[in-house]
Amino acid sequence: MVGGFLVMGGLGVAIGLCLALASKVFYVYVDPKIEAVEEALPGANCGGCGYPGCSANAAAIVAGQSSPSSCVAGGPEVAAEIAAVMGVEVEAREPEFALPGCRYGVQEADLKYLYEGIHDCRAAMLLGGGAKECPIGCLGLGTCVRACPFGALSMGPDNLPVVNTDLCTGCGTCERICPKHIITLSSASLRIIDEYQVDECTAPCQRSCPTGINIPRFIYQIDHGNYEGALLTIKEKCPLPLICGYICPAPCELACRRNLIDEPVAINPLKRFVADYEMSAGKHVDPYKAEDNDRKIAVIGGGAEGLTTSYYLARLGYQPTLFEAKPELGGILRYVISEDRLPREVLDHEIQGILNMGVTAKTQTVMGEDFTPGSLLSDDYDAVVLTSGGIDSRKILRPEAKGFGPPFQGLFLLLDLYNALDRGEKIDLGEEVVIVHNLSEGLGLARTCREMGAKRVTIVSKLDAGDLPPELVDTATLHAEGIQVLPSTTVSFLEGTGNHLERIGLETIDPRGDEFGETSILNVDALIFPGARLPELVFVREERNPEAPSQIRRWRTLETFRTFPKGTQNGVFSSPEPGRLSDSSAVVKSILSGRRLCRAVHTHFTEERVAPIDNLVWEADAILDVSEVHHVKSLERQQPSILDVEGDSESAWIFPKPWPGLNEPAARTEAQRCLNCGLICYRKNENETSLKA
Amino acid sequence: MGDYILLIVSCIFVNNILLMQYLGNCPFLGVSKRMETATGMAMAVIFVLVMAGAITWIVNTLLLRPFGLEYLRTLAFILVIASLVQLVEMFLRKSIPALYAGLGIFLPLITTNCAVMGVCLINIKEEYGFVQALIASFSYAVGFGLALILFAGVRERILLARVPKPLQDTSIGLVTAGMISLAFFAFKGMV
Repeated sequence: MVGGFLVMGGLGVAIGLCLALASKVFYVYVDPKIEAVEEALPGANCGGCGYPGCSANAAAIVAGQSSPSSCVAGGPEVAAEIAAVMGVEVEAREPEFALPGCRYGVQEADLKYLYEGIHDCRAAMLLGGGAKECPIGCLGLGTCVRACPFGALSMGPDNLPVVNTDLCTGCGTCERICPKHIITLSSASLRIIDEYQVDECTAPCQRSCPTGINIPRFIYQIDHGNYEGALLTIKEKCPLPLICGYICPAPCELACRRNLIDEPVAINPLKRFVADYEMSAGKHVDPYKAEDNDRKIAVIGGGAEGLTTSYYLARLGYQPTLFEAKPELGGILRYVISEDRLPREVLDHEIQGILNMGVTAKTQTVMGEDFTPGSLLSDDYDAVVLTSGGIDSRKILRPEAKGFGPPFQGLFLLLDLYNALDRGEKIDLGEEVVIVHNLSEGLGLARTCREMGAKRVTIVSKLDAGDLPPELVDTATLHAEGIQVLPSTTVSFLEGTGNHLERIGLETIDPRGDEFGETSILNVDALIFPGARLPELVFVREERNPEAPSQIRRWRTLETFRTFPKGTQNGVFSSPEPGRLSDSSAVVKSILSGRRLCRAVHTHFTEERVAPIDNLVWEADAILDVSEVHHVKSLERQQPSILDVEGDSESAWIFPKPWPGLNEPAARTEAQRCLNCGLICYRKNENETSLKA
Repeated sequence: MGDYILLIVSCIFVNNILLMQYLGNCPFLGVSKRMETATGMAMAVIFVLVMAGAITWIVNTLLLRPFGLEYLRTLAFILVIASLVQLVEMFLRKSIPALYAGLGIFLPLITTNCAVMGVCLINIKEEYGFVQALIASFSYAVGFGLALILFAGVRERILLARVPKPLQDTSIGLVTAGMISLAFFAFKGMV
C-alpha cells in the first residue's frame, strides 16, 4: 500500500521533472508575432478564414500565406490590429452578412408531413429532404442559430432565422451548416453581379424581369412605407428605375401570379412611384458603394448599356470613364425614343444619378478617331468595355467617315463588309480569315473571302456537326477550296497588339454542356462577325509579356458571359442576337447585359475566369411553380389599363401621354395586392401575419 | 528465428489490433477519410508504439513487479505513455522538425489511444521478453497501419460510389470496416 503510493508518486515526480527538463532542453523559438496575432484574433475558431482555427490562421498570417484581413469574424478592427502587429497596410474588405433565403416559415408553407423528431435541420433533412413541399424551404429547426459562434442569429416568430447584422461577422458558419443551403453570405457587391439560379427562392415576376429586380421585396418595402429601401432594392439590379417606370414593357406583369385570379399587380407603376418619389424629393438615394480600388475602366458608348456598366463598375469600386460620340449621354433613350414617352427631364435626372456615383463622362469623343481600345489601354486604363450597342453613332455623326470604324483592324461587321463590296471598294482581308457562323451566312461569304484574296477561311459554328447546313457538310471538298469548318466551337477570346487583331481563342462546346471545352489558339488576319452592330467586348491588358514597351500594349478580350448547362451564351460572341449579349429591344435587356459586363470585369480582377452559372434561372426549362392559387381575395388594380388612359384609342398604346403615375395612397393599396410570392409559397388571405422580406 | 517470424505474422495479420482485437477504433474511423492522413497516423503509431512498448516493459519489469505492484499497471502505463508522447513531441519539434511537421498533429491524438495501451498490456500478459515485446509492439503497429491504410483506400473509393443517403459517411464506413474485419478472419488458425 505504502509502496504503491511511493512508487506511483515517485514515478509521477520523476516524469514531471523529466518533462520540465525536456521543455527547457528542447525549447523551440516561436515567433512572438504568431502569439500576438493569435491574441488579436477573436479565438472563436469559426473557420471562416479557411484555416482549421485561429492559431492556424495566425501562423499562416505571419508566414504570409493569409491576409491580415482574412478574419471575417473580427472585422476591420481586428484586421487593423493584426496589420499593426505585422507592420503592413490593411486592404479594405467589404462586409458580408448572412442572408436567409426563405420567406415562409413552417406554419405558412405547404407541408408534406408533420415532423416530430430530433430538433435539428440535419436530422429532419434525412426524411425526404424535410417536411416542406418546397425543396429549398427553411426547415426552421434552428441548426444555424445554434451553430452561430457570435450569437448573431435568432429564430423569428415565423420559424425563420433572423440575422442581427450588428453581430454578424460574415464568418459563414451558418452557410456551411445549413443542410438546405438556404442561408448564404451576401454583400452589396455580390448581389449586383449575381444571377438567379434554379435552386433559389424566386418569384415568377422576379424571374421574368430581364434585369432581375427583387420585385416582391421592393413591393413589400413600399407596403411598409420604406420607399428609399424599395429604391435601393431596385437599384441593386436596375440603375434606371424611373426610365424603366416610363418605358419598360413590364414582362413581369405577364408573369404575375395574380393573373390566375384577377389582374396583375401594377409592378411597373409601383417602381415608377418610388422613382418619382426620389425625383420629386430632388435628390438621389445613394446606395452602398465599395471602397475605391484605383482601377480605371473605360466604357465606350453612353447608352443604357454603357450607363449601366459604368454605374455598377462605380459601385463595385472601379473608376469608370464613359466615352460617348454624341453631345449628350443617353443613346437610344435620348435620340430615338420620343419625348412623349420619355420626358427628357426624367432622362437627365437618371443620368445625373449615375454620374453622381462617380462616373466621369467624355462626350463628343469618337472611337476610331479620338481613341481606340488599344490606345486607351496604353493610356493607363485597366480595362475597356465596348457597349456601342443599339445605335452606331459614329456613322450618324460623321457620315463622310470612310472605312468600317471597328474598334481595331481585323474585325469586320458583315453589314459593313457587304456595303463596301457593293460600293466596289477593295478590301484587304489578309490571309487567314475566320467567319463566325450564323445560319444564313456561311459558304457564300467564305467563297467571297477567298475571291478577295484570303488563303484560308475558317467557319466557326456553334452547331454540332450533325446540325450543320448541307453545304457545309462535305468537308473534303471544302478543304480543297481552302475552307475549313469547325462545328461545336465558339470564339472564346480575341488577342491583339495596339490596333491590330492577331489571334483568336477557340473553345469546343462540350456536347453535354456541363464542362469547359478545350481551348486552342488560331492566328488570324480578319474576323468576320455576322451582325450589323458591334458586339460587347471587354478588353484587358495581356500581361504575359511585361517587357514589351507600354506604347504597344498587347490586349485580349474577356469572355462576357458563361452559363451551364446548355452553353448557348458561352464565348465572346454569344446569343441572343449573334454576337451580342443584348438585342437592345428593350431598355431592361440592355441593363441586364450592362450588368453582366460588370460581372465579367469584376471576376477578371478578382479571379481569372468568368465563373459559370450552373443553373441560370432564365435558361432553365423546368422550375418549380404553381399553376393555381387558393385562398386569395380578388382586389381591384389601382392603375387603369393602358388603353383607358386616353379613351379607347389604340394610339394610346403607341404614344401614351406621360401618365401622372400612382399617388401615395394608391401605391400603398396596390402594394397590398402583391402576393409576396416565393418559389411555391405566396401570401394567403387567412394567414396574413408575420411576413418578412 | 522461426518464433519471431511467427510472432510478426501473428501480430500483423492473425491478431490484427484493429480488425481482430477491435482496439483503437476512433482513429480507425476518424483519420481514414484521406490516404494522406491515414499514412501520417500509421507512421506516428509505429513510432510511438515501439517506444511505449519498450518503456512500459521496463517499467513493468524493473519497477512494478519487484515491488509486487502489478495491480497499478494500468495507471502507471497511462502515466508513462502520456508523458512519453509529450516528451517525444518536444524532442521531435526541436531535433527533427521535418518529422514533427509530418507526425505533428497525430502525436497528441495517440496519447489516449487504446491501441497503444492495449498492445503494452498484451505484451505483459503474454509474458514476452524485452526483444519479443519490441518486435510485437512494432508488428502490432504495422498491422494497425496496414489496416488503416487499406481502409482509407476503400473509403476513398466509396466517395465515388453512389451510397444511399441514410448510409452515407460513418455508417457505410462501419459496414466496410466490418467486411474488412471478416476478411481478416481468414487468417485465423494460420499460426
